[in-house]
Amino acid sequence: MTKKLLTRYNNTPGSHTLAFYQSVNGYQALEKALAMTPDAVIDEVKKSNLRGRGGAGFPTGMKWSFMPKAPVDAEGKPKPKFLVCNADEGEPGTFKDRLLMTQHPHQLVEGMIIAGHAIGATRGYIYIRGEFVHETRRVEAAIEEARAAGFLGAKVMGKEWSFDLCVYRGAGAYICGEETALLNSLEGKRGEPRLKPPFPAQVGAFGMPTCVNNVETFCSVPTIIAGGAEAFASLGTERSGGTRLFCVSGHIEKPGVYELPINITLPELIAHCGGVLGGRKLKAVIPGGASAPMLRADEIEVAMDFDSLAKAGTMAGSGGVIIIDETACIVEVAARLLKFYEHESCGQCSQCREGSHWLARMFDRIERGGGTEDDLNMIAEICSNMAGQTICAFADAVTGPALSTIRKFRSEFEEHVRLGRCPCKHEGHAYPHSQIHHASARL
Amino acid sequence: MTKPKITFDGQTFEFEPGDTIMRAAERAHIDQGIPRFCYHPGLPIAGTCRMCTVEVEKAPKLMTACSTPAADGMVVHTQSDKVRKSRAGVMEFLLVNHPLDCPVCDQAGECSLQNYNYEYGPGTSRFRDDKRIWSEATTKRLSDKLTLNMNRCVHCERCVRFTEDISKSNELLMENRGWKKELVSVADQKSFDEYQGNIADICPVGAITFNDFRFKKRVWFLKARKTLCDGCSKGCSIFADEEKHVVYRYRARRNDQVNGHWICDEGRVSYKTYMNPERVIQPLLKTGAEGVACSWQTVLSWSLAEARKAKRVLLLLGTDATSEEAATLMQILPSYWQAETQIRLWNGTGEGVQRSSDDAGLDKLLRRRDKTPNTKGLEMLGLKPFDPAQDQGFDLAIYYRSGRATLPAAPCASVEIGWGVFDRSEAQRFAAVWPGQGVLEKAGSYTNCDGLTQSFDAAVASHGGCAPVKKVLDALKVLSTSASASHEEVALGSV
Repeated sequence: MTKKLLTRYNNTPGSHTLAFYQSVNGYQALEKALAMTPDAVIDEVKKSNLRGRGGAGFPTGMKWSFMPKAPVDAEGKPKPKFLVCNADEGEPGTFKDRLLMTQHPHQLVEGMIIAGHAIGATRGYIYIRGEFVHETRRVEAAIEEARAAGFLGAKVMGKEWSFDLCVYRGAGAYICGEETALLNSLEGKRGEPRLKPPFPAQVGAFGMPTCVNNVETFCSVPTIIAGGAEAFASLGTERSGGTRLFCVSGHIEKPGVYELPINITLPELIAHCGGVLGGRKLKAVIPGGASAPMLRADEIEVAMDFDSLAKAGTMAGSGGVIIIDETACIVEVAARLLKFYEHESCGQCSQCREGSHWLARMFDRIERGGGTEDDLNMIAEICSNMAGQTICAFADAVTGPALSTIRKFRSEFEEHVRLGRCPCKHEGHAYPHSQIHHASARL
Repeated sequence: MTKPKITFDGQTFEFEPGDTIMRAAERAHIDQGIPRFCYHPGLPIAGTCRMCTVEVEKAPKLMTACSTPAADGMVVHTQSDKVRKSRAGVMEFLLVNHPLDCPVCDQAGECSLQNYNYEYGPGTSRFRDDKRIWSEATTKRLSDKLTLNMNRCVHCERCVRFTEDISKSNELLMENRGWKKELVSVADQKSFDEYQGNIADICPVGAITFNDFRFKKRVWFLKARKTLCDGCSKGCSIFADEEKHVVYRYRARRNDQVNGHWICDEGRVSYKTYMNPERVIQPLLKTGAEGVACSWQTVLSWSLAEARKAKRVLLLLGTDATSEEAATLMQILPSYWQAETQIRLWNGTGEGVQRSSDDAGLDKLLRRRDKTPNTKGLEMLGLKPFDPAQDQGFDLAIYYRSGRATLPAAPCASVEIGWGVFDRSEAQRFAAVWPGQGVLEKAGSYTNCDGLTQSFDAAVASHGGCAPVKKVLDALKVLSTSASASHEEVALGSV
């Protein structure tokens, strides 16, 4: 099988400690990076074709190079630059950052210090979702160890550059995974995405130039510096280097996090994970977290890298692969996903706030058998009024599952309408929760 | 240097560097063609309602006019099919959960949602599910002055941004997320600042209404008259909304030199000084303990006789008189009698303000200590404040004020005549009352605390026998020159 870069020492006892990390050449990449100029580090990352692992797949080296070299405020005083790690990991079906933070927190810390050196930051924040208590403790412990060993603090490894890390826990909102909402949340404000421009590289956390990257992205950086950009780039495709952590869940024999070549095909991935649960027939795959449009069983002959999936009309997203077999009712899947989006829309933009609510209500009604043919025709129109019209990409994410299911599995929706109930459930099926429309009631 | 240019719907306009598309449209006076909910020229940009989208040539997506910077040579279409479709989409979304209770909503007639629905709305609803209902907040006390109906809210958050950035009380915030986002007040239904009325003004829908005006009048009956607020020395520009010469409310009128887009709550309800059922609107002459309504002829003849008897007369001008009134009175009134006339100004508001130098801001926004509008103006006429310790020995005091200045605590002379706007209890001390005009009923000019002189027109006609200064002076002249003036010559009797 392929070479593992990030998860080589998975399940090794003590893999989260500094002693273990240093025994496997940890922090040597940092030493090497500090000997290089910041621009040389950025060039190295650019050459490695590392693309952001958070979901958008933006080239990381390019993002770093957008950071201003010597920013000044209105009075001409120099402004500090900040580095932020997005460890909010909210995308349903994604659980890779959790693994990295519990088992390899020093990899993250080292990656962040190298990135801080590259962009000239003075402080880094790790924004961890509130539910990750254990992970937070591991990361905090790693930061303590790194600080005691002189990798963080006033003089990083004796160099004239101070850099420190600070852990901030979120309060569990999905939208805080969006980088500008994350920055708002980090500042103590409502987690609502900001208008862009200005982009975080100009006005980010606390008004200062800020670079935001995903946990997995930072964790890849030490490997790039230690092993060289060419070696990293050679593992992937022409435009996307390295390996990728795939979080495989759903109807699969061996669910879990797998580090695999970024251009593995979807059937290979499913086979690698032991095939569909119980040897049943595959119905659909969500290839990149809940926001990614679904692929039907006959569309899965596709490589899992960013460009191939985009060409297939979906996206690689955060690497959360959800396998759905023939026993599942697609309408129910879609209704459940939309319920999630209804709950998680921040509610700033009109289309997203009201549209996600409307779609969730409609899908729920269709699933229960109350839908009409008109409803099915209206979904595409509601989605077209939402997508691309809002501040952030959330509205587009809502239309992902809504549009892909109605387009690819329309016959199932029509069956619900025709029967007046879900064909996958027996007649008189009791739904576990009743719908309450009072906004003041808990969902 | 030539200014950058932007093209709106085929017409090219100049704009200032740094403008957004909306700001450039405002400069070109075509911004009313761009609908908006969250955008307000006095508030920071939010860009969330997505109603103001316009099509910019060469831009891949529709852009929000409120937040997109204008660029030289930009070509903008504000009414293209794509734009109108997007706006219709937003309207449909906003109406999905809106109760559509316009017939019982106090905002109807001045509601953005209603207006834009005529222009862009779908007309019918395709929404088949149950609407979102805030059962507790269908009609909820938001503060002492505001009522909230959360079901009507379009979540533009103008109110939140107002308390964040303008009044800086930070008292309003949105609770929860998404479709359950609800406006709450930290103050828990109590008063939270002195500028709450503006929140009702800027609320584009009927979600927040001002209790003082709520259900008093349907807005389409009202005519907006431009005038000034005389509630303090700031002199904010306002609209007085009247029907049949009765004013129902004040609203802020934009004036970037003075008040921006805002007025304070105290000023907002100050129309009640003039629309007061207790206000004296007929001449009064005291017989025994009570003042008795009489004709102008009677009260003026009696007063003139008193003035001729007197050796020293005090004319006390309240600092709420217009500069024109004060100048006229100073020049003309003393010539009607032989007695020495001393003219002083009197303010007495805000715990003893007498001079403009006693005045100070009560907060960083608008409110001032001096609760009269023209202290500076009267000082510019050379008037000095009345000092009860020095200025003594008067036989007659004529006190002119138009409703704002206080009255000196102790009587200034043995006979006191009140001239102007008084309510019944204030009129008790006067031997005679000549009913005058308040700011709403007259034209004139005030000089505000910053030295800015602003003129205004009458908003409504006088009530009852209230007469302008000039008419009273004319009548006095007739009476003083001919001892046997006939009834017809004193034209004021019929006012």
